[in-house]
Amino acid sequence: MITQTRTEILPDHILSAILTLARRQANEERLVFRGHDYTLQEIFYALSRNPEYSLLQEFVFCESGPIPYSPALSDSVSKLQLSGLIGRENPDYERLFLNPAAEAFFDAVLAREFSPEARQQLEKIAADFYRRVTAS
Amino acid sequence: MSSEASIAVPLEERVDQFVAWLFRDYKTIIPRGPKVINDSLLGNQYFSKHEVVVIDCPLLQRLKRIKQTGLVYHVFPSATHTRFEHSLGATTVAERCFHAIRDRARIELGEAVANEDRLSGDLALVRMATLLHDVGHGLCSHASEQIYALLSDLREFKRKPEFSRKDPGEILSYLIVRSPTFQNWFQEYVVEACDAPLRLDTVAALILGKHPEKDKHFLAQIVSSPYDADKLDYIARDSYYCGLALTVDLPRFYSMISVASWKGYRALVLRSYVPLEQILFSKMMLFGSVYHHQKVKCLDSMLRSIIQHMQQNPNRCAIQFPGTRVSFAEPVEYLYITDDEFFNQIQGLGDPYVQEMLSRFLRRNLFVRCLQISRRTVVNWNHYGRAMLMDLGDQPTKLDDLERKIYEQLPASARSVMNPRDVRLSIPDRPRIKTEDAVVQTSPGAEPEPIELFFPVGQWTDAYAHNKWSSYVYAPREQAVPVRDAAISVLANEVGLEIDAAKSDRACHPA
Repeated sequence: MITQTRTEILPDHILSAILTLARRQANEERLVFRGHDYTLQEIFYALSRNPEYSLLQEFVFCESGPIPYSPALSDSVSKLQLSGLIGRENPDYERLFLNPAAEAFFDAVLAREFSPEARQQLEKIAADFYRRVTAS
Repeated sequence: MSSEASIAVPLEERVDQFVAWLFRDYKTIIPRGPKVINDSLLGNQYFSKHEVVVIDCPLLQRLKRIKQTGLVYHVFPSATHTRFEHSLGATTVAERCFHAIRDRARIELGEAVANEDRLSGDLALVRMATLLHDVGHGLCSHASEQIYALLSDLREFKRKPEFSRKDPGEILSYLIVRSPTFQNWFQEYVVEACDAPLRLDTVAALILGKHPEKDKHFLAQIVSSPYDADKLDYIARDSYYCGLALTVDLPRFYSMISVASWKGYRALVLRSYVPLEQILFSKMMLFGSVYHHQKVKCLDSMLRSIIQHMQQNPNRCAIQFPGTRVSFAEPVEYLYITDDEFFNQIQGLGDPYVQEMLSRFLRRNLFVRCLQISRRTVVNWNHYGRAMLMDLGDQPTKLDDLERKIYEQLPASARSVMNPRDVRLSIPDRPRIKTEDAVVQTSPGAEPEPIELFFPVGQWTDAYAHNKWSSYVYAPREQAVPVRDAAISVLANEVGLEIDAAKSDRACHPA
């Protein structure tokens, strides 16, 4: 086959897994958080600096401007919204929430894509993410 | 060129081979002086002598044979404008942005923030970068970019931080400008013959949205940012040539931009977010009416059929050029061939499938949509199968598998008159406006703030996409009904989406 393609886990899969695990760890009925693009960019940039979080290398940050920016992260948020896995609360569109479909997607599809080591790492990232996003 | 061995050559080297091929036998003629080129949208455009040398070179001239909106002209007949006129137009818009910033900075800051020399100053660099920003576009512009973007070595490039924000065509533009062959030609005929001492490294960096000096970051933003000259030109140009009455009030936009210190950079700021709203709405309208028009996506899918067939049958389907042959095995091969050449050259191929598809394009006997997959037709739209469907847009192998499954599900009578590639599932890309470093400064001296605090740019885009986005299954008209039925069955089994055939039929009319 000439069209060489990568079949690895997509960035939005990682984001979806982090959000799902964060909700489960927080034991909240519904995960809701401020989801401005610039806020999420800041949080994930900080997380990606942790060498233990190698999965976050999928969110490549460009540092050539005033703020580090990962198009893959913004695109993942858009994709999860269009996929119906996350939504935004009207009318401010400031707060993102996780839909039940994300949980089902994680259990039926994503869980088996991640190795036990990757799953452990995701659990750590999810906890770190939740701490930061609730503090922002 | 199309052998798998060629893929082992680094992308930068393959790009240089392409530039050397393009400039083979080219005799550069130095013009007597500058030129005024008239444009249907922007009027008289002034180009300096050294810019005319670049405009006349094969890199820019080939853009005359690449339509700005790919195959859209099959749907909007007047959309035959090219990457060439867009490149010239964007260069003019970039200069107008530059002058607007210069004037405002003089008044507000009392200083000259950039050198406006047209031969060697910042203005010259911005203009040259904008002029060259699209030279990495190939066959049918974005229609083929969607295909080669998924080839492995470009995806690897996207993983490098400096390239992560850029689309594949822009990465190729950067690599072309950085190629030794172009650098040598530029040094001899632009820098020396025209006495225009421009640093091509800086030009290339600007194409990536980067300037080596932090206090000149705004220059990079004129070339590449959420409201760059490229966007300002193509939104106005595409809507004009498609006949859509969209408004981008450029004079108003120019009056609303300035520069300010922000996080250690001198950055472009908006004094009002209204012009950006206008850009956003116009871009959304273009997505809904043009770029994501169901027939345009059908044409893109049919082009994908031909290219996949040529990729998989290189011995029979490679296009021969002097010194090279093209079978679309790797991204640079898409540069060798332009729109007109593609449809002319494949006429000479004896391959029956290519001939049949070519005939469909020439006689506009296009595939038809037989199934619509959208929030209006999917019964269980909140099922995670929607995520699996969206994933197919990023995973071409899985998309191919699903299309083949639909084909295999067809009755033998239908399969006997169809090629497996006659079943096409289109997963349109998500419309997006990257807000990145878009900031508003309400008055001189005020702290610049992210645009999202003023209006939800990305969220509006997402809300629009949520309501307007549709995926379609396409097939030859005669087989639309069996393909619809097979697709409904396969999509239910493979991704769990249940589609209401009656609702879909109201949009698609397959019978």
